[in-house]
Amino acid sequence: MDDIVITSWAPGSDPVDPVDQAVPAAVAGLLERAGLGLEADVEVWALARRDGRLVGCMGLAGDLVKDVVVDQGLRGHNLMAGLLTELRHQAVARGRTRLSCYTRPSLAAVFASLGFRALAQADGLAVLMEDDPRGVERYQADLAASRREGERIAAVVLNANPFSLGHQHLLRLAARDCDLVHVFVLGEDRSQFSPAERFALVRDGLAALPEHDRFVLHPGSRYIVSRLTFPQYFLKDQADIARAHAGIDLQLFRQRVAPVLGIRHRFVGSEPTSRITAHYNQEMRRWLQSPQADWPTIEVHQVERLEVGGRPVSATRVRQALAAGRFDQLAELVPATTWDYLVRRPPRAEPAPLGPPAPPRRQGGRSQPPDDHRQAKELSC
Amino acid sequence: MLISRPAVAGTLESGDATVRITPHDSLEVVVTSSVEAQYGDAVRRVVRQTLEGLGVARALVTVTDKGALDYALRARVEAAVMRAGDEPVDWDVLIGGER
Amino acid sequence: MTDVLNPPAATLDAAQPAWGKYDQAAAPPHRSALFVPASNAAMLATAWVYGADLYMFDLEDAVALREKDSARLLAINALTSYPWRDMAVAVRVNGIDTPFFADDLQAVVRAGADMVRLPMTDSAELVHRLDAELTAIERACSRPVGSTKVIAAIESAAGVVNASAIALASPRVVAIALAGFDYLLDMGAEPTQDGSELFYARCAVLHAARAAGVWCYDVVWGDVDDEAGFRAEVELVKHLGFDGKTLVNPRQIPWLHEAYSPTAAELARAERVVRAAEAARDRGLGVIAVDGKMVDGPIVQAARRAIAYAAASGVREDR
Repeated sequence: MDDIVITSWAPGSDPVDPVDQAVPAAVAGLLERAGLGLEADVEVWALARRDGRLVGCMGLAGDLVKDVVVDQGLRGHNLMAGLLTELRHQAVARGRTRLSCYTRPSLAAVFASLGFRALAQADGLAVLMEDDPRGVERYQADLAASRREGERIAAVVLNANPFSLGHQHLLRLAARDCDLVHVFVLGEDRSQFSPAERFALVRDGLAALPEHDRFVLHPGSRYIVSRLTFPQYFLKDQADIARAHAGIDLQLFRQRVAPVLGIRHRFVGSEPTSRITAHYNQEMRRWLQSPQADWPTIEVHQVERLEVGGRPVSATRVRQALAAGRFDQLAELVPATTWDYLVRRPPRAEPAPLGPPAPPRRQGGRSQPPDDHRQAKELSC
Repeated sequence: MLISRPAVAGTLESGDATVRITPHDSLEVVVTSSVEAQYGDAVRRVVRQTLEGLGVARALVTVTDKGALDYALRARVEAAVMRAGDEPVDWDVLIGGER
Repeated sequence: MTDVLNPPAATLDAAQPAWGKYDQAAAPPHRSALFVPASNAAMLATAWVYGADLYMFDLEDAVALREKDSARLLAINALTSYPWRDMAVAVRVNGIDTPFFADDLQAVVRAGADMVRLPMTDSAELVHRLDAELTAIERACSRPVGSTKVIAAIESAAGVVNASAIALASPRVVAIALAGFDYLLDMGAEPTQDGSELFYARCAVLHAARAAGVWCYDVVWGDVDDEAGFRAEVELVKHLGFDGKTLVNPRQIPWLHEAYSPTAAELARAERVVRAAEAARDRGLGVIAVDGKMVDGPIVQAARRAIAYAAASGVREDR
């Protein structure tokens, strides 16, 4: 590595000298030659230069290592090790101690040599790896603390952006059919509602139900993969991306999550509109119900969507109504707990609703204390 | 020594080790080593002894060993601990006694 | 640590700064002083096999700002471990006015470094400051006062002008080393093929070293791939009288050592000189004679040095 210089560059930081000013174009060029694109979510890059020429790059987005390119001619120079060491420093400086990556199976051995461990692989398309050799086990130990015994134990994974009557319908059907329903609220932070908000809305929505003691609520984790945060940079084909995401997420669920809690059933809403979600539900049967020696099968239950006004209730529909300021429509789509919150919620990305509407009381439910928003923010997901 | 923030030290070059340390409610040492078969236990012993010498009782310590010699392992653990804590280096403690 | 710097016969006496301060003929050769980046665990693990006469762990230029702390820790752990604890090792600390200097010094003196190489030694006053710091640390850690030696690196016009005072500033100073890069910047000079831009500095530093009875190292040769250029420069500085060179690449060690090795004929002649000197001593004669000609002290010392070089690296082809 004598003549190779490793540096870092955070997009958006002021370029100090001409070399820095040339960095964005050089990174884009390197990625392009490797068939990749410059992704906007990369916060900081580790860069390898030789004689001033960019010969390698590695990006950090959250705790994900991505957009890894290393000059083929310099394979023997251990560029990956140098880049990862630099990126670890950058990650730690941002308070992140565990890194993960999705990579082509062909690069898995290199990442393994750098301390990463493969958690799941999907159809030869992608491997999920993380650099914490006991990370899953620690998560499982945490999870085991909320294990409860029961004959039929189910799980529902939802984003709840925000929690609607559709979600509530699905959860109640699961609770009627099973002794226990583990509810996982995805932890990604790319939705209109933050993870803390979504978690609090589900929590409060469930607390108001007669079946409330059958639910066990879990915040998201890195082992429950949202499609929103699934990186796609090294997969070109949308179908491949969908397959890779489903394969990895569902294997993690079957092998790492479900056994800890004794989950043998998974409930999911039918998908009349989104092809991607419909495909995911299809993949769910394949990955959860096929016999595997080491892992018990998980029965998939697809539940018909709740319809209001002849159309299925979806979070998209809720957000549209919210954006339009139609609180009257919202009242038909979300439980009172969510409605109360939406009325009081300070605007996040969208313009504020026009004028305070009269609060409807179609459904019995407790109203939120005024400081609930703050409480929700403090919940860590 | 109190671990008050995450820290990392070392590299992934052959003959070195990367040591990561984070605040934790107990002492947990996780080692992966490129020479696990021959030296895995020795690596774990050196790491634990070094942590003990520094009085680190609560931390998650993750070591990626690339065949580092004992003294290099010690140095990387010490550097990570110093970076993760707020106490100034006491050279008497660090160098005192037989190594 | 070994005691190569303090052979039993030698006495530390600041009032008598001469060749006798260290019996240089009795000490191992000091041709090659190799920098090893103290941040690099892999290099520390393997560098000792290269056969340099002196290893210098580098905490300064070779270490990125972010790794100053970890390099220091790696250096002291290496210093106290096999095989380094049994070898003569110098540590180049960061400059006396940097925020790293105090910790560097505390750490490496306590860890038993034989020598400290001080960068940017512009004046005797800096050596006095270093001397006082070393004494305080040695006292605090029960290390014999004066046992930490100093290599003063001369890297500026002021340093060259003050070289003699620097070499004589403390009995701790056992060597001065000319460092070319910063010196040329300071002078506004540019490198030439034949090294004429360094001519005055080399002569001045060398005279200071010889007058004070300390070793003298020439500048680093940067271009590792230019073997011919390196060998030519070594011939030049060897003939000027330098003990050796500071090196940054181990590949240059055998080239350097070969240049300093005597030919078979030179070795045979040196052995005859030394035999004659020993015979004269045994018989209590005041005059040493070889082939009927009188031989004096410096020739005997040169002969001993030639034998030591041959013992370390063999003889070279007569060219």
